[in-house]
Amino acid sequence: MNQRKRIAITGVGMVTPAGNDAPTTWANLQAGRSGLGTIRHFDASGFPVRIGAEIKNFDAAAVINNPKLLKHATRPHRFALAAAEEALTDAGIRPTANDGHRWGFCVGAGMMAMDFSELQAAQKVSAPDGEFHADKLLSDDFPADPVAFSRNQTNSGLALLTRHFGIRGYATAVHTACASGGQALGTALKVLRRGQADYVLAGGFDSMLNPTGLSAFCLLGALSTDNDAPEQASRPFDATRNGFVLGEGAGFLVLENWEAARARGAKIYAEFAGDGNSLSCYRITDSPPNGDGPIQAMRQALADAGMTPDLLDYVNAHGTSTMMNDRSECAALRAVLGDHVGHVAVSSTKSCMGHLISAAGAVEAAVCALAIRDGIAPVNANYHTPDPDCNVNIVRGQSKRMRIRAALSNSLGFGGSNSCLIFRNPEEVQ
Amino acid sequence: MSNENITQEEIMAIYPKVAEMIADALGCDVENVKPDASLINDLGAESIDFLDIIFRLERGFKVKIPRGKIVEQARGALSEAEFESGGVISEAGAARLRVFLSEVPADRFKTPLKSAEIPKLFTTETFCKLVLRQQRAAAEAPPAA
Repeated sequence: MNQRKRIAITGVGMVTPAGNDAPTTWANLQAGRSGLGTIRHFDASGFPVRIGAEIKNFDAAAVINNPKLLKHATRPHRFALAAAEEALTDAGIRPTANDGHRWGFCVGAGMMAMDFSELQAAQKVSAPDGEFHADKLLSDDFPADPVAFSRNQTNSGLALLTRHFGIRGYATAVHTACASGGQALGTALKVLRRGQADYVLAGGFDSMLNPTGLSAFCLLGALSTDNDAPEQASRPFDATRNGFVLGEGAGFLVLENWEAARARGAKIYAEFAGDGNSLSCYRITDSPPNGDGPIQAMRQALADAGMTPDLLDYVNAHGTSTMMNDRSECAALRAVLGDHVGHVAVSSTKSCMGHLISAAGAVEAAVCALAIRDGIAPVNANYHTPDPDCNVNIVRGQSKRMRIRAALSNSLGFGGSNSCLIFRNPEEVQ
Repeated sequence: MSNENITQEEIMAIYPKVAEMIADALGCDVENVKPDASLINDLGAESIDFLDIIFRLERGFKVKIPRGKIVEQARGALSEAEFESGGVISEAGAARLRVFLSEVPADRFKTPLKSAEIPKLFTTETFCKLVLRQQRAAAEAPPAA
């Protein structure tokens, strides 16, 4: 195999239910402090699930001083703008008029585009008697917001962020459900290795915490109904787990060529060493019980990183806290890690910040970067009762101080999309 | 049909509300939305912002403003061919525009004037007059069946 270009992570930014920036998020994840609670930003009292992982006390205008830009930004776009700004500031480099064309942008874009209130308004006017009347939709009774359409496209976030930051090179918005963020990062890695860009701002954003998103997951029975104990509701790998907790947020990383990063004296969190991407070809919402699909993604990522499993010390699991996902993922981990499985610390930080859907893979990649930097495997909160079907080495009780040579992050999506990313400690890079 | 009898009092009566809507649409301070500010040249409006402003005016003033109404009204009795040709406004058309857009300072009318540049002339006051005209038209129209 040809010598690949080495890619460095030099900046991270996060807006998560555990904190409105990366340092706060990371501190809370290490402490196992939950960002989950009763849903506040819309009235969820009529739903069987009334808990979520919300972004709290967030003011985009405090970070992004551009009211006109914010007019076009949905809730998750605002998280994305703030997280991306933090990542660029952290990296100490940003696109300029001279090199904007050498910057790329790859993003896992949110699953829900249209705001519920817009759907509701259209329904109210066009179907007053319950039947849809096309002629009423654009009638005089309903001044329809023309900006809504441009705000609600899957690439709207991409358009907004690239324009704001002056990124003019390779850009793509990926949507593969819960694997989106991971696959966007994987795409960024390939773009950099191919030399299509010198820098990529890569990440993900999402918010399905709205009546449509919440009701959809309620109908699928995928969410924890522990309304009275939200902080304990997300308990990946615990035998008593009963579903995931829907979250929202954004995460971004600045990726660049290793040698260039070294040359400019950048701090390097980790090498972004490998990407694996597979489809389970199984069922829409079921995870393959034997881990088929995730297994291939993990093996591809290891091969891509040129690594054997014994070099891994930490896995940031997809670990949603649903019965099926956690079993399937553990089966895959056992298959891929073999005899080494007991030596690899595994945790799902969704235990503290819920499931960020399209943002999850990017946020958890940022978590891996910080875990490597600080030598800390963050705790898998709320893990008390082992499940014999999830027999892996869970980080239990408290975060574990340990040197991490390499970390692996899984993101496994609806429809069978699987993403696996591998990050290597800079000290391990010769 | 004609707008020449719209008084300054009428315009100034709705100006604060119109200015606020324009400021919201453009994400700028309302103090910058002066009556004679060009929305494009002074306030950085782009084409989608005009759609947004019209939407906000419709909602805020409970009037219906068909898209393209300003230019259509400006043309008045002139046919499209009389008004412009090959993207350039005719002399008759330009004369008509100066009357119709009487709020726009005379030095902002270029010669020759391209039709694509007409929106650059639109000021806050232009939109105030648009609302007033639509309000009048609605009041004069026979009640809807």
